[in-house]
Amino acid sequence: MGVQRLDRLRAQMRAQGVDGAVLMHGPHVTYATGHVPAAVDSSHANHQRAVAIVGAADGPARLHAHDRAGEAAAGVAEVGDPLWPELDGGAAALESAIADVLGDVTGCRLAVDAVTGAMARAGVLDGAELVDAGRVLVPARVVKTEDELACIDQSQRHTERAMEAARAACVPGATRTEVAGAFLAALRDRDPEPGLGYRNGIDPIFQPMPTRRDGGIRTSTGHVAFPTGVDNPVLAEGDLIWVDAGVGYHGYMSDFGRTWVVGRAPTAAEQSLFDRWKAVLDASLAAVRAGATLGDIGRAARTVEPHDTPWLPQFYLAHGTGLESAEMPMIGTDLGPAFDDAYVLEPGMVLVFEPVTWTDGVGGYRAEEIVAVTDDGWRPLGGGHHFEPFRS
Amino acid sequence: MSNDLVRARRDRVLDAMSDAGIDILVLGRQDNTGYACGMRRLWTAGTRPFGAGCIVVASTQRVHALSSWEDGIEPPMTFDDLYPLTWNPRIMAASMAGIDGLAGAGRIGVDELTPSFRRAAAGFAPRAEIVPADDLMARIRLHKLPGEIEAIASACTAAWIGVDAALGAAGGTDPAAAAIEALAGVGVTIPSSGVHVERRGEGLAIDIGVLCDLYEGGVGGVFVEGRRSNSAALVDACRVGATHADLSGAATTGGWLVRGLGMGFERPVIGPRIGAGERLEAGMVLSVADGDRRDAVHVTEGGPVVLSQRR
Repeated sequence: MGVQRLDRLRAQMRAQGVDGAVLMHGPHVTYATGHVPAAVDSSHANHQRAVAIVGAADGPARLHAHDRAGEAAAGVAEVGDPLWPELDGGAAALESAIADVLGDVTGCRLAVDAVTGAMARAGVLDGAELVDAGRVLVPARVVKTEDELACIDQSQRHTERAMEAARAACVPGATRTEVAGAFLAALRDRDPEPGLGYRNGIDPIFQPMPTRRDGGIRTSTGHVAFPTGVDNPVLAEGDLIWVDAGVGYHGYMSDFGRTWVVGRAPTAAEQSLFDRWKAVLDASLAAVRAGATLGDIGRAARTVEPHDTPWLPQFYLAHGTGLESAEMPMIGTDLGPAFDDAYVLEPGMVLVFEPVTWTDGVGGYRAEEIVAVTDDGWRPLGGGHHFEPFRS
Repeated sequence: MSNDLVRARRDRVLDAMSDAGIDILVLGRQDNTGYACGMRRLWTAGTRPFGAGCIVVASTQRVHALSSWEDGIEPPMTFDDLYPLTWNPRIMAASMAGIDGLAGAGRIGVDELTPSFRRAAAGFAPRAEIVPADDLMARIRLHKLPGEIEAIASACTAAWIGVDAALGAAGGTDPAAAAIEALAGVGVTIPSSGVHVERRGEGLAIDIGVLCDLYEGGVGGVFVEGRRSNSAALVDACRVGATHADLSGAATTGGWLVRGLGMGFERPVIGPRIGAGERLEAGMVLSVADGDRRDAVHVTEGGPVVLSQRR
C-alpha cells in the first residue's frame, strides 16, 4: 500500500511540476510515509507534528515523528529525529532536514501544508514557490488502491460492531456522553492493539433532533443544525437521535450514520421517512458507475424527492472517505452544478451517501452507506446495508 | 464556562493586537479560536488544514467565527458575528469581504499560513501585509487568568475519575475501557492526549489527558496499590526563573517534558532536545512529565502548586 501511495503522490508532483513536498497535515504524512499520527487533540497534534519530506525522484520519503514511527512501511520512509515546526527553537532543525532531503530549495516549486509562524520568522522555505499540498495530495488520494478499500471496509465493520453497544445504551434517561462512552469503550474490543489499531477520530455524535426545521437553534441554512455535538443532553423517550461517528484503521476513516428512536418503536410517519430515504439511496446508487458525473447522481437523487433537496444544505448528498472522513468526491455541495457535472467518477473512488429526508412536524431520517465505485457500478464497504431502520 | 472568563480572554487578545499594531487576527487553530471567542466546536482528532476559523477585528472590537449556527458560542458574540461553513472558496471570500474592517486592513496577523490563504487575502484585503501572530497568541496564553487556573484544576479532577476507574477495574476487564466509560459518565469524551493504561511490573502505568469546557486536565504515573510510585523531583524544580539546565538536572529519566498546559498543548515547550533558552515565569501552568509520572503544575512566586492533586 505504501509504495503505491508514494508512487501516486510522485506522479502528481511530476505532472504538476512540483519539486518537493513538505507535509505536516496528519493524513498527508500518512499517505506519503505510512505513519499514522496519534489521534490526539489538534493542539497536541500541531505541537508534536509528524513531518514528511518528499522529493520528486524515486526513493524513500523522510519521516520525522514524535510518536512510535514503527508503522512507516519499510522501503517507503526513512525515519529522522522528531521536529518542532511550531517553535522558534525548532526551525533550524526543520530547515536542515528539508535541505538534507531536497537540497537548496531556492527557485523550487514546493507543495506545503502550512507555513508555521516559526518557519515564517526563520525564513524556512523563503525563495521557494509554494503551492498548497492539497493540489498534489487530493488527486493522488481520490482513487483508492485495493488495500486502502480494505482498510475502510474493516474500519467500517469494526465501527458497526462497537455501535451495537451504543445502541443498547441509547435509552431514556441516558446522556449523550454515556452513549458515547459505551461506543468508545467497545471500540477497544477485538482490537489487537486496543486504542492503537482502531483510533477514534471524532467526538461521537448522538444528537436529539428537533421535529421542525425551525424548532432548534438558529441557523443560516434554512434547515436544522447538525452536527452540533458540544452539549450533553439527556435522551428522552421518542427522541429521534442522529448518530455520526468515524474511526480510523491505519488512518482510513469509517463513517457511521444512523437515526435511532429512543425507547419506543418508530411510528408509521417515522417509518415513511425511512422509506423515502431508502428510495433516495436506491436512486442514487443506480446512477453510480465509472464514467458517471457527480451531477448525474445528484439529479437521480432529486428525482425521488422533487420538492425538497434530500440532503443538508451545508453538506452534500455524498462525500468520499479515506484518510479523512469527508474528502473528495463530494456531490451536491455549494461548489455548484458546474463542478458536479465536470467531475467524472473512476473505479476505486469511495462515496459515503448521507441523504436526509424530512417532514416538518415528524422530523428527519439520516443514515450513511459507503460504497466503492467499480467499472460497472459499485460495491458495498462495511457490513451494514441491512437497513434496519431506527434499530441498528 | 464563566462568561467573565470569555470576556477577559477576548480583551487580552484585543489589547495585544493594539500593542502589536495588528488590525485583523485570523485564527485557524481550534485552541486559539476557543481562546478568542469561547466557541466550542465538534472535536476531531489530529491536525486540521488552516482556514479562517475566527476573525478578530481591532477597529470594530468584534470577533467573528466560522459557523452556520448559533451553537457553542458565548456572549458578546452573537449570531450576526458568524459566517457560514462553505466548500466554495469564492463564497468564503465573499463572507470575508462582508466583515466590517477587513477590506481596509493594513496588517493581518495569522496563526499559520497557507499559499491559498495568502492568495485569497490579496483579494479581500488588497493592502494588507500578512504577518505571523502565533507568537502573539502564545504570549497571551502563557500566563493564566485565575478562571483558567480553576478550569484546569477542574479538568484534572475529571482526569482522576478516569484514573480511579482504571485502578478499580475488576480483574479481566480492560482498565482503559473502564476509565473511558467513567469519564463519559461525567460528560467527558474529548481527549487531549487520551487514555493510556499499561501493565508495568507490579503496577499500572496510567496517563490520562482530557479536555473539559476547552481546558485540559491531565495526570499520569505508575500506580502500585493505588499510589504513584514515581519521583516528583521535576515538579519541585518548576520554580520562577528555572532554566532548561535546572529542569534537566532535576529530571530522573531521559523521557521528560515540561510544556504549557491550558487549552491543550501550549508554550513553553522544554525537553531534552528543545527549549534551551526558556525560563519559567510566574503564572505559567505546565504539564510536567518525567517518565511515566505527569502532573499539572502552576508556577507561582511562592513555588510550584500542583493542580492535579488527587482530591
